[in-house]
Amino acid sequence: MGGIGEPMKKTSRRRSAAIIGTTAAAAMLLAACGSSSTTKSTSSSSTSSTATKVKGGTAYFAEAPGASPNYIFPLTPSANFSVDNTSQFQILMYRPLYFFGVGNKAEINPSLSVANPPVYSNNNKTVTITLKKYKWSDGETLTSRDVIFWMNLLKANKTAWAAYVPGDFPDNVVSYSAPNASTVVFQLNKSYSPTWFTYNELSQITPLPMAWDRTSLSQPAPSPTAPNLPDTTTAGAQAVYKFLNGQASDLSTYATSPIWSVVDGPWKLSSFTTAGKAVFVPNPSYTGPVKPSLSQFVELPFSQAQSEFNVLRAGNSAITYGYLPVTDLSQKPYVESIGYKVEPWIDLGFTYWVENYNNPTYGPVFQQLYFRQALQHLVDQPAWMSSFLKGYAVPSYSPVPLAPANPFADANSKTNPYPYSVSAAKNLLTSHGWKMVNGVMTCESPGTSATQCGKGVTKGLALNLNLQYASGNAFATQEMDAYQSAAKQAGINISLSSATFNTVITNAVPCKPTQASCKWEMENWVGGWVYSPDYYPTGGELFGAGSGANYGSYSSAEANKLIAATHTSSSPQAALNAYQNFMVQQLPVIYQPSPDYAISLISNKLGGVTQNPYLNLTPETWYFTK
Amino acid sequence: MRPLTRACVIESGRNRFTVSITEDLNPELERELAAPFASTPGASVPEGGDVTGSGSAWRLIVRSFFDNKLGILGVSLLVLLLLFSFVGPIFYHSDTTIATYNINLPPGPGHPLGTDPSGRDVLGRLMTGGQDSLIIGIVSALVSTIIGTLWGAISGFFGGAVDTVMMRIVDVLLAIPTIFILLYLETIYHPTVLLLIITISVVSWLTAARLVRGETLSLRTREYVRAVRIMGGGRFRTIVRHIIPNTIGVVVVQATFSVANAILILATLGFLGFGLAPPAADWGSMLSGGVNYIYDGYWWLIYPPGILIVLTVLAFNFIGDAMRDALEVRLQRR
Repeated sequence: MGGIGEPMKKTSRRRSAAIIGTTAAAAMLLAACGSSSTTKSTSSSSTSSTATKVKGGTAYFAEAPGASPNYIFPLTPSANFSVDNTSQFQILMYRPLYFFGVGNKAEINPSLSVANPPVYSNNNKTVTITLKKYKWSDGETLTSRDVIFWMNLLKANKTAWAAYVPGDFPDNVVSYSAPNASTVVFQLNKSYSPTWFTYNELSQITPLPMAWDRTSLSQPAPSPTAPNLPDTTTAGAQAVYKFLNGQASDLSTYATSPIWSVVDGPWKLSSFTTAGKAVFVPNPSYTGPVKPSLSQFVELPFSQAQSEFNVLRAGNSAITYGYLPVTDLSQKPYVESIGYKVEPWIDLGFTYWVENYNNPTYGPVFQQLYFRQALQHLVDQPAWMSSFLKGYAVPSYSPVPLAPANPFADANSKTNPYPYSVSAAKNLLTSHGWKMVNGVMTCESPGTSATQCGKGVTKGLALNLNLQYASGNAFATQEMDAYQSAAKQAGINISLSSATFNTVITNAVPCKPTQASCKWEMENWVGGWVYSPDYYPTGGELFGAGSGANYGSYSSAEANKLIAATHTSSSPQAALNAYQNFMVQQLPVIYQPSPDYAISLISNKLGGVTQNPYLNLTPETWYFTK
Repeated sequence: MRPLTRACVIESGRNRFTVSITEDLNPELERELAAPFASTPGASVPEGGDVTGSGSAWRLIVRSFFDNKLGILGVSLLVLLLLFSFVGPIFYHSDTTIATYNINLPPGPGHPLGTDPSGRDVLGRLMTGGQDSLIIGIVSALVSTIIGTLWGAISGFFGGAVDTVMMRIVDVLLAIPTIFILLYLETIYHPTVLLLIITISVVSWLTAARLVRGETLSLRTREYVRAVRIMGGGRFRTIVRHIIPNTIGVVVVQATFSVANAILILATLGFLGFGLAPPAADWGSMLSGGVNYIYDGYWWLIYPPGILIVLTVLAFNFIGDAMRDALEVRLQRR
């Protein structure tokens, strides 16, 4: 349970259980440390027991249960788009153009970004970006060509990118060019809100080293200035993507690959097991701010929150930064006594599970609003939060998160239009042509009128649904058991099964009804979604038609219109309100309580830790104290 | 000599052979061997005193079995467990499938063994879990024993290339870790009672096949087997009517142990999260769920299913031991 631990899902990044991250500028960091509860920070000289910073040491970070890193290439597909891959693995080695999260604040971090803030001109139709001075570990300079390389790959392989939304990035970029080695200019197809474009579109860019611009390992790394590199043509860029994707699928070569060892981030991978244990060492040629103080940073995989806690509780510093399962809250005094501080890690996200609108059998049922309302009426959010999550959660009534405190959520997102009620769920079904037959609701009256089952629902179809959820957290089992029982009373027979987070997010991918991969009905990776790389919570990546993270293939013209309005409107909050109010009522997914990402347990000997609301991990700011 | 004796016992118990094959060789031994089965015992008093057994071989076996105190304990335990699981729910009513918010309640009125993390009655779930565990254990032991016995008997009887191929298949399967096969199958398919029976059977028949094959190798050279062949008995008839019945001792003992084994495998799968899909119960899954609360002192989630698993496995092992003692002539009292 632990609250956290569960993963979100896919694309935007699905969260899993987790951990922390981040940092900001060094100055910000110090300020944050000084104000946070336990860290004996270097900055506050007023602290009575001033701890001395020690250089070196190995910090052990516990990965979320069942959610180990399994994809290293930053251009990540849907099936691997998890926090554990992007925010807590790739980002240590490959820095995004723009870094998000300042301390525990959900905003852009100019200090850790590879580029200076974008400059919008020409009525917000031209974006000019200048790069800071960074170097790759192979000695090459990070230049505008590396951004162009990403754009070329993305443009030619956009459907492979989990954050791709048709019509949005990179479709909304008419042209991009590099007038000099440190400048990139984007021409947009119309004027967009600069906040949205920076937070949700430019945020998707990770400059890639030109050493990757090849199609086989036997080729030598190309010269960055060579003309006619393969990525400059569409076919060539597709071949490069195919090669890199193949390399990323070979987990056993991560630490030794000549490809993946070219990094611009503060860390280099020194060893990696296919089970997900990753050992990082500082990148000696890192040129950005905040160089690592630790001599090693290790991420450890666990199948269950409980096994993580057993290891942590056994002492001997096997885990420096772990988490407390919600089931073991009674152990809080004990873990404090063995030298850990307890700090909930709250991310800007919401939690839900997806139904597959394209499932050949039940897709037409999921498309009926009354049916989704019935499903939502069976989720008892207040009871789940108090009984199973012990209060370490906030409710989710819309895709706009309620925590951490933010200016985005409006009043509608804070009230529950579909409170727990088995009878309401039952009435919705019986008033739409369903009848209880042997304890299971069965469609008796197919058709499209207001009192019939709805378009595409066949007579005699019984509501026997499968729901798979991520294993490893006891609270998730409790929630799903409760849901199954409630649904049974309403005549909906739900077969539960559990699998690892990584399996669940691989199953829950957008599909067409004719595909074999479209047999899934409902998938719950328990972690929901953290808004990253769509840092401004407008939902395009989640619910836009054809988007990679629209796992259930939700499709609504009205939703598309409202989402598009948030990208261009001159009054952004009004547009965001219209969007969230629609989503509150329409239930594109089934909302469930959002647990804190994790109840983090941080060793008292570890300083410099802040918990990034986007779940980005920045161990380079950590240090041990004496 | 000893194996011959067993052949005589079984065969004479079935009134098949009236003429012993050892008669010409050793009339004294023959008399001694025949004594327990003679309808009028005591015609001659053998060296070493009167035999205490009388009546059919099966009666002797049963008597020998119940002379074993652990055997009686095993049977009593098993009867109690069966009553608990199958008759218990008739007298103790509880809803074992509907989750409630009365989670992890300690034992008290209404819930003699408390409630589980999903608010269901633990005692009731132990009963229904026991039904599934026992059914799966017993049926999969039966299935695996039947497959193993046929496989082993055919392999041993034909010998040569057939034996080599069949036994190498067994060797190969034995070389694959059981837990790997099980987890693989359970991951692909949705666990149900039927699937669990099939998967556990698939990995459990190998031992039986080896044992029966070893036994068959010695049986097939016996004179009475040759006699069947000479009299024109077909291969199938020889295997089914003569070889397999004579391996019955080994088979029954093996079957008993494999029930215990199957229940342990089921508990292991449940513990690893591959047990029956909720809300169905099995003891391994219950134990696994309880382990999440090991630091909270919720003993009612851990000890009851754990103890039941141990008791069931012990019961079958005691029974198996006692059966072996009763069936193995070497260990049989005289």
